[in-house]
Amino acid sequence: MNHRPFEDWLLDDQPLTPEQKRDLLSHLRLCTSCSALAESNLALHTTQMISPTPGFSDRFKARLVRRRSEQKWRQMVGILVLVLGGLGLISWLAGPVIQEALSSPAEWITTAVGYFLYVLTSLQALGEAAAILLRVVPSFVSPAGLFVILMVVSGFSYLCIVSIWRVNRLPQGV
Amino acid sequence: MSEEMTWVLQAQQGSDEAFTNLVETYQKHVYNLCYRMLGEPESAEDAAQETFLRAFQHIHRYDSKRPFATWLLSIAAHYCIDRLRRRKFSMASIDQDEEEGGFELPDADAPNPESEVVHNEQREQIQGLLRRLDSVDRAAIVLRYWNDCSEAEIAEALNLTVSAVKSRLHRARRELAGLWQAETPRSKPERRPHESPAF
Repeated sequence: MNHRPFEDWLLDDQPLTPEQKRDLLSHLRLCTSCSALAESNLALHTTQMISPTPGFSDRFKARLVRRRSEQKWRQMVGILVLVLGGLGLISWLAGPVIQEALSSPAEWITTAVGYFLYVLTSLQALGEAAAILLRVVPSFVSPAGLFVILMVVSGFSYLCIVSIWRVNRLPQGV
Repeated sequence: MSEEMTWVLQAQQGSDEAFTNLVETYQKHVYNLCYRMLGEPESAEDAAQETFLRAFQHIHRYDSKRPFATWLLSIAAHYCIDRLRRRKFSMASIDQDEEEGGFELPDADAPNPESEVVHNEQREQIQGLLRRLDSVDRAAIVLRYWNDCSEAEIAEALNLTVSAVKSRLHRARRELAGLWQAETPRSKPERRPHESPAF
């Protein structure tokens, strides 16, 4: 059965002329699929909106208060964890240095210079190791292997970036 | 400046009272959208409350060039779509919910018990059919038929193009009609004598 233009009229929800209405009605008497479209249209147009149970805004106010106190509590716990963690880390890292500094100033200066030289030589050694690796790796890893390694590293970086974005993004629609 | 815009501006400055006025104005629209999307009064209440909370928390991001209702319904629609997607992957599937039996609908003000029964039947039938639609199509249908949103407004609310909204609405309505036809017992259409069965 040819549903055109009746199906389009029904789908477009446009006002019809009296002749179009008459033609549509006579088509609907014969065509079950178009009459189902018309009936479901009518149901969509006539089904009423549903209201929430009374007191919705009062429940919203109560939820807002609860959410605020939850957020405050979460913030406090976060700050506390951050401060305690930071203090712990600082005391763990700086503990030996402070002990040294307290024992004798000369020793403290020697230790500080020692640490500085240690960091400097470590960085230099790392740089040299990286340079050697860059020279040596291409000789025993094929270009395809290098490509795979590069892809894995990029994939991992991409995953990290996406995860950070997902955690920090705004709710949709806002 | 409209009263609604005044409330929005006051809410942006942190007035709870002004935002409560907005909640009272739009509670029915948001609740109905959530109910049509999720199909259960409890989930709809929770989703509608969450929508208003999100709107309140991000009201400073609201662009006054957009209609407030569209912005609010956009938050509600995205929240419900997200919830339906999560529900799909969780243990509690919609099918299971359906098996658990019907749900109580809030009492609509209908003086005639007979027409109330008919309305309830129609509501449940439409609700049952809506559940079978894709979540974005369902949101488009609800925004179009219950919230009287234009295709442009639906597109804005659901982050789609107008032509995508148009095709989604057409597809969803064809699907609804097919389901309606399958679920409603009807007599075969009359055929005029000597008429070809092809027509």
